[in-house]
Amino acid sequence: MPALGVRVEDLSKTLGRTAALRGVNTVFEAGLVHGIVGPNGAGKTTLMRVLTGLLHPTKGRVEYYDEAGPVTPARAKYETGYFPQEPSLYPDLSCREHLEFFRDLYGLSEADYQPRMQELFDATGMSAFKERPAGKLSGGMYKKLGLMCVLLNRPRLLLLDEPTVGVDPVSRQELWELVYGFAGQNTTVVLSTSYMDEAQRCAKVHVLDGGFLKAAGTPEELMRKFQVKQFADIFLKP
Amino acid sequence: MRLFLRRVRSVAAKEYKHILRDPFTLVVALVLPLIFVGMFGFVIDLDYKHMRLYVRDNDQTSVSRRFLQEVSSSGYFDQTPLHGPAQADEALQKNNTPAVLIIKPGFGRHVKAGDISDPGQAQLLTDGTDNVQASIIQIYMRGIIEATNALFLPEGGEGASARIRTRFLFNPELSSRWFIVPALSTVIIGLLAIMLTALTVAKEWENGSMELLLSTPVRPAEIVLGKLIPYFLLALFDVLVVFVLALTVFRIPFEGSFLLYMLACAVYVTGALALGLVISVVTRQQQAAIQFAFAVGLLPSFIFSGFIFPIENMPLFFRWFTALFPQRWFLLISRTLFLSEAGFAPLAPAFWGIGLFAVVMIVLAVFKFKTDVEP
Repeated sequence: MPALGVRVEDLSKTLGRTAALRGVNTVFEAGLVHGIVGPNGAGKTTLMRVLTGLLHPTKGRVEYYDEAGPVTPARAKYETGYFPQEPSLYPDLSCREHLEFFRDLYGLSEADYQPRMQELFDATGMSAFKERPAGKLSGGMYKKLGLMCVLLNRPRLLLLDEPTVGVDPVSRQELWELVYGFAGQNTTVVLSTSYMDEAQRCAKVHVLDGGFLKAAGTPEELMRKFQVKQFADIFLKP
Repeated sequence: MRLFLRRVRSVAAKEYKHILRDPFTLVVALVLPLIFVGMFGFVIDLDYKHMRLYVRDNDQTSVSRRFLQEVSSSGYFDQTPLHGPAQADEALQKNNTPAVLIIKPGFGRHVKAGDISDPGQAQLLTDGTDNVQASIIQIYMRGIIEATNALFLPEGGEGASARIRTRFLFNPELSSRWFIVPALSTVIIGLLAIMLTALTVAKEWENGSMELLLSTPVRPAEIVLGKLIPYFLLALFDVLVVFVLALTVFRIPFEGSFLLYMLACAVYVTGALALGLVISVVTRQQQAAIQFAFAVGLLPSFIFSGFIFPIENMPLFFRWFTALFPQRWFLLISRTLFLSEAGFAPLAPAFWGIGLFAVVMIVLAVFKFKTDVEP
């Protein structure tokens, strides 16, 4: 199945009295690794939640599409994998139990599940920790388990909210390799991050600040636009 | 449908693992019923026995002595002799005794004569600050006087034909424990069931797992049913614990149909569990959920169920209002099935009451279940 793309038009979202997103227009092209970058409070998590369907736009539209044309939100939800920023796994369930739980939620057959599970355990190097409860995993392994759960269904759109927060440098590197390994023709990856070096590794970067989309493009395009020599300096420009 | 059942089973299996691995849930489910049954079963005793009674016998005849002997042997009163009218006033004012009995001179002579128009006289002074106790003392004393009259009634004397012989069906000794323990299941099982599920959804909101869960294709009905099943089994286990304790520790008879009782328990427990889920779904916070659960589980059980206050004595509005609470209906079923051999027919309205409540609560839990993280 081809990857899903998302088109966001004039998207605004108000949470209580706070305008979290203000008229955001951007496109997440299918098959690429997209980075949403911005300081704390920029609206990254809100945008991720709107893309997942967990928050509804106050104004504007979110449209999903693939090669064949528009995809309904209900269908897109089934095809989307989302791993939130906050800890969201069950501390008392083991890695294997987590994958079995998600297997049933996604309705995967045993014939689909077994090789996919093995593939994910091999790719993450977590085979030795199958029976370890999530609450006893290190920060990096915890994130990997979360990633495994959402990758189980072979999502056509993978949304990761700050996946490398609280993770040591080695695990960060491994997580990135994993994400790149699974992105491609069949999967679009959208991840949010506060780290500029991570954003620079994305094919397309969407810069959020104060709920506004300041710019979107490849890292090189953005450096030209903001007239900076280092990608990390784009937030230093007024 | 197969996918629906698979997801329900999967959520149920996950909850089952949480229960087994969470000591708090296990303590609530397995130890709390024992504490509650022990606490309520032993502490709440509405039978008044061995009440102190100050007595002055101004008659001093064989009849008055026999009357006082009857008073003692009833087991309701422990007598203390009174040495003057001032002592009676002092005893009542200082709360030393709930009642004072003064037998007037000529008591024996009049009782022996058996003349209804001119009976023997004794004065009973009771402490009206506890009106329940005062009424009970009056009732007990009336019974003792009747028994004494019967002893000294002359052959073919007046009044013999007017005597009423009372027999209490289903609870011959009017033991309050027989009355209370079957009702305890209403309070304990209801409260436990509400508390068990009140935490389950709120906990998922607080630990962040709900966000991940809601991003999957799982639907509210699947989560609600999946969460109900393991707690349903746990609550039915509690039902059996309370039942066995009632029969073995408190020696309460069980006269009705066990199957009918278990059916009622199953329906009642389902409604209470679903109510807990509604609380959890609405509050999304464990602390608020547990406070709500306590209030909603405990108050109606005591006030609007007929557990302590008879529904027939309530104003018309509240009599109808109590119909909203499943505790009222289940209490009726529980007491009836414990103490009488009644079948389904007389209990049908009560079954409707708990059944309707369960359905409404499940529907409410499903519809109130949010599929997004909107505040």
